Formats: sequence, structure tokens, C-alpha cells
Amino acid sequence: MTAVVEIRGVSKSFGETKAVIDLDLNIPTGSLCGFLGPNGAGKSTTIRMLMSIIHADSGSVQVLGTSALKAKDRIGYLPEERGIYRKMKVGGFVEYIGKLKGVRSSILRKRIDQWLERVELPGIRNRRCEELSKGMQQKVQFLAAIIHEPELIILDEPFSGLDPVNARVIGGIIDELHQEGRTILFSTHVLPQAERICDRIIMIDEGKKVLDGTMSSIQSQFDPRVIRIEPIDKNCDLSNIDGASLIENTNKGDHLLMRLDDQIDATEVLRKIVQSTSVLGIEIVKPTLDEIFIEQVARRRGTEAADRVREELSHV
Amino acid sequence: MSKTLVVAWREFRHTAMTKAFLIGAIVMPLLMMGLFIVVMPLMMEANSTPMTGTVAIIAPTDVIEEFQERIHSKENPNAELIEQLPDIVTQDPLASSMLNQGGSNTTNIVLQQADIEDLEELKNKVRDGALAALIVVPDSLLGNQTSEINDQLEVLIPSSFSPNHTDLLSLAVARSVVDVRLRRLGHDPSAMHDMVKRPRVAATRLALDGGEKADNEVARRIIPMAFMMLLWIATFTSGNYLLTTTIEEKGNKVMEVLLSAVSPLQLLGGKILGQAGVSLIMLLMYGGAAMAGLVTFALLDLVPVSHLLYLVAYFTMAYFMIASIMAAVGSAVTELRDAQSLIGPIMIILIIPLALWPVLSEHPNGIVATVSSFTPPLIPFVMILRITASTETIAAWQIIMSMVIGFAAVLGMIWGCARIFRIGVLMQGKPPSFLQLLRWIRQG
Repeated sequence: MTAVVEIRGVSKSFGETKAVIDLDLNIPTGSLCGFLGPNGAGKSTTIRMLMSIIHADSGSVQVLGTSALKAKDRIGYLPEERGIYRKMKVGGFVEYIGKLKGVRSSILRKRIDQWLERVELPGIRNRRCEELSKGMQQKVQFLAAIIHEPELIILDEPFSGLDPVNARVIGGIIDELHQEGRTILFSTHVLPQAERICDRIIMIDEGKKVLDGTMSSIQSQFDPRVIRIEPIDKNCDLSNIDGASLIENTNKGDHLLMRLDDQIDATEVLRKIVQSTSVLGIEIVKPTLDEIFIEQVARRRGTEAADRVREELSHV
Repeated sequence: MSKTLVVAWREFRHTAMTKAFLIGAIVMPLLMMGLFIVVMPLMMEANSTPMTGTVAIIAPTDVIEEFQERIHSKENPNAELIEQLPDIVTQDPLASSMLNQGGSNTTNIVLQQADIEDLEELKNKVRDGALAALIVVPDSLLGNQTSEINDQLEVLIPSSFSPNHTDLLSLAVARSVVDVRLRRLGHDPSAMHDMVKRPRVAATRLALDGGEKADNEVARRIIPMAFMMLLWIATFTSGNYLLTTTIEEKGNKVMEVLLSAVSPLQLLGGKILGQAGVSLIMLLMYGGAAMAGLVTFALLDLVPVSHLLYLVAYFTMAYFMIASIMAAVGSAVTELRDAQSLIGPIMIILIIPLALWPVLSEHPNGIVATVSSFTPPLIPFVMILRITASTETIAAWQIIMSMVIGFAAVLGMIWGCARIFRIGVLMQGKPPSFLQLLRWIRQG
């Protein structure tokens, strides 16, 4: 599969701060790739380099087989910090951005009406942007990012601030665009969101790549360390099972979660549980992206940093 | 280039096609032009409405006779004032016809000699409108003592009486008193007036090249200031728009969206080009209003075509200097109030030509004027002042040198501004200091 984005050995610093360090990335054509990491991990800096808004100190950035600068008109970009001309009319704003991307006005006018229908905003073409609600403004901004029908779409936190209904509308369109064969780079620090929709994950932390691969390959790379048990007797005592400990505050009434100790064989623990109590169901749970990420941070930066990240992710 | 033009058109459209701009930059100058071309002549026409009715006069008989003759004569009562105006005004057909309108149609009044004992009754008649006016000339005014002849004569009029007609009566009766004084002393008043009439002074400057040029106070003082102010208004208004639109784009976070479609240089170029159109409109509108004023007062000769060509050249220079400074400052800050601290010192420099206007226009070839006309960013403002104020031709080498230095400075400033712009547009938070801006130029 050919790569839409190829980054080789890219570094970028701002003064003393190293935002991106020797980064290598490959994003295959047609993938819906989650670009993940906590705040300050270097996601936005990397995206800005892809958009040739800023330039790398070293290394090379190739987008759609050419330099990032030359590929500008073939990329759609929804930045994290949403920008809109408050006094401009919706149609005028989207048309302006489309024209800057090299599409003729006559084509844009037709597309704008069609797309306004698709994002469930019919009849707002002549309304000023400042008259719209925040959610409507976000949909208009999303529209401006895709109106020129780009081959690569970069969405930085596309769902932030959207209510569930609007998030579903935008999610549906992202899915359609992916089905049409467009490559989508979806940046977020809300990992479960990426887990739901992405077929590929790239995770960075402190400017360095820590994970890269398809969802299933990443999950299979990590030894599952959690067992989910559905006991018949809700009051059963599993505290005496060697090699595993109950995860506190996870008992939701119908099931229990147990974390395996390091170096313990999961099948042995499963057998011990079944011998101790009758169960309706028992399974080894695949690790979530949150857990994988925390584990990566713990491995690279120690448990204290991992705890901080866990705390941060719990607030998302 | 097409992207630059798209940005330029949006910048122009969203600045110039707004109600505020239409009122401030187009409607106001048009109103000024209308005032000069249509309203003022109409107002002057209105002033020539004939004075009618009966005027009672309490005065010695010879004063009444003199007044009778003067008030019914066709002589313009403003003749003395007109004599003091420059030939360029009085000899122009349009201007002279307007100035002389006050002297026509002034004879439709009836004079009625009255007695001082009826003063109160006459005053009541004036109040009631039965009399158009009452004039009281005390005998003492015709005496020989200085203290007496400085007494006042009275012109009593109804509250609604026209100020123009008041002047007419006052001037006529005052001149009649003077004429009677002279006559009583055995002199011929008209001969005496001719004797005391000041001769017209024609100041002519003799140039080193043998040429001669009439001196003109208006041309020497007002026109240069008008040219410099025109340059100021046109460039600083659009410069200010450039500053605010750039800050707005940073403030509402649309900058990143724009930079995902265009390069910082394309964006900067488009914004400067768009506002150049705005600035040009300002120049044409306010310049047009000023020219309309010159046409109305028949002073068009004071502005030769060469001055207009210099105006265009120095306007171009001034605009790009101011625009690049404003765009750089706008890109570096996120709020308008932060911009003030950066613009303040620049404004102090740029205000020098305004502060030095009296010195520069009095000594347009002096050392201060010459040095400052080679000093960016003062060049365009000082040079246009010098060229229009100077009574002798500015040396060609000085004009050429000012152009070369000025446009080289424009290129340098645009280059520096572009480097600041490229870094500044993505910066948020605390505004940079001057030193940081210089560092950005080095880094950019």
C-alpha cells in the first residue's frame, strides 16, 4: 500500500523546547489513522509541518508523493483551534477557503448548497457566521476543510465541543469520506474515540513515536493483563486467587475485573477462578488504547509519569 | 499569484464595502465636494436677496444724502475686502462673479429721515417690522475731536434681519460718515479714497536660472500641508485597517485555516494589495474633494500636474512603508491594545514631518528638510512637502535619490515585515518586545 504521508527523521524545536524528535511516520493511502497522544505530545506541531505552516528543522516531509508545500491544495485541514470570520456569511466564508484551495467559484457554489444539506444546515448560506451556534459554526468549519474534496483530510479534535447529535453527523460524514477512499488523519487525545473509528493508530509522546500499527496488531502486541468475570454469586470472594488482584471500583454489579500480576500465566489464573466460583462468563480483556498508552508511558518515563497521564486521561 | 489576488479581493471587499467605510471615505468627501461645487455657490446666491422696506435714519442731512447715494449705487460694499485678495482669485470669472454677488440688488429700500425725539417709537416700529431698520448717527461722529469721532453709530434691526443686509447697511453708513467728514473739511472723498488706496504688491521670485515666478502665500503654506495630510490620511487609514484585520484574523483563530491554504507571503501580499486599493480610494476621494475646493475658489493653478505625479509616486512609497509596519505589528500581537505599545515609538518618528511642517515649508531647501528627505520612513512625507512648498525647483538629484533610497527602504521593510509576519502569525500570548521582533527578522 502506498503512503500518503512519509515523514523521515523529522525534528522541530521552539527555542529550548523540543516539540518533535527524530520522527518517522508512514500513513497508508485510504486509511483512517488516529494520531494520538496527550496534550503537548507534538501532534499539532507534526500536523502543522504536514500542512507546511511551519517547517521542520531537519528531516523530510512528503505528502501525497510531493513536498508538503506543493500538496497544500490537496489536503483538507480542520485545526484544533477553530477559526472563522465572524462577520462573513456562511456561503462567503466556505467559498473563500475553497477558492484559496484552487476551486472555481461556480463549482463551489453548487457544492456549498449540497454540503450544507449533508451537514443538516440547509438555508444558512446567507447568515453571518456570528449568528450561528457554536456547534453550527463547527460544522461550517468542517465544511470549509473538505469543500475542495481533498485526498488527505487532517482533522484535529473534530468532535470537541460538539453535542452527541452533531458528533454523530460529522462522524457519519468522516466514515463516508473514508469509504470513498480518502485518507483521514484524525488527531485526538480522547483515545476511546479513536479506538472506535480508526483502523490504524499512531501514538506519540514527548515528540517521539511510541506506537504505530493497525488497531488489531497493536492490541495483539500487548499481553492482556485483565480478566473480566461474570459470577453467578455476586458476593463470591476471589481475593485468595494467587497471581491476580481485584481492580478496585470496577465492580459494576454484574461483573468484576481482575488484574494479572507480571509474569503470571493467564490460563492458570482462569482455571483457579473457575474452580473457586461458578461463573456466567469469563474472558481475557483486550487492552484499551488508554491502557496501552499508560503502559507505554510507564515503560518510557516511569510509573509516576504514567500515573499523571492516567489522571489526565480520566478527565477527558 | 491567484491566491494572493483572492486574499486581496477579500481584504478590499471586507474593508471598502462596509457601511462605515462608505460613509467615512466616500460619502463624506462627496458631501464636501457637493458643498464646494453646489451648496456654496447657492448660499452665495441666496445672500444676494435684495433688501427691501423702509429704513429710518436719524442723521445730519449731508450724511443722509451721502448714504442715499451710496446705498443705491451699484458699487460692491465688499470692494475693500476684495481689493486685498490675490489677483489669482479676483481675476477668475467664477470666483469674481461669486465675490461680486453681494453688490447687486441692494437698492429696493426707502429712506425716511427721522427725529431723535421719536427714537423709542421708531424702535417699536423696528420691532414690529414696520421699519426694516433704524440708523442713528450722532453729530459727534462728524466732529474734529478724535475722542468724538470714535463714538459709535447705531444700526437697529429686527431680530430676524439678515446678517448680510446688516453688514451692507453698516458698511454703507460708516463710509458715508467718513465721506461727509472729508467733504466738510473741503476734500473730495473719492479723490481721498484713491489717495489712501494701498498699491497692490507683486512679490516675484527671481530664480537662478533666469526665470521669474510670482510668490503666493496660499500656495506656499496651505497646499504643502494639504498634500502631506492627504498622504497621511490615505496611508494611515488603510494601514490601520491592515493592523486591525490582521489582529482580528489572529484573534478569531482563522489564521491557521488561511495558512493551511496559502503561504504567509501570499497572505501578506494579498492583504497589503487589498488595502492598497482602500488607500487609493481614500486618496482619490479626499484628493478629489480638495481639488473641487480649489476649482470652486479658482485656485487650481496652484497645483501643477507634476505635483500630482509626485503625489502618486510618494503615496506608493508611503503606503508600502506604513502597510508593512502595520502588518508586522498586527501579526505579532493578539489584541489591539498590545499593538499600541509597538506602534507608539514608530508613530513618534512618523509624526516628525507634521511637527516640523512650519520649519520645512519655510525652509524647504534647508538642512533639516534635505536630511530628513533622505531618511526612511520620513522620505515620502517630507519630500511631498518640500516639492509643493519650495519656491525654487528641488534639485533633480535630490528627488531621484529620495526615490532610490525610499523604494529600497520599501523593499527592505517588506522583507523584514514578511519575516516577522511568518513567525508572528502563529504566535499567541504575550506580545513581543522590539528586540524580539528584531530576533524574528534574523530567524525568519
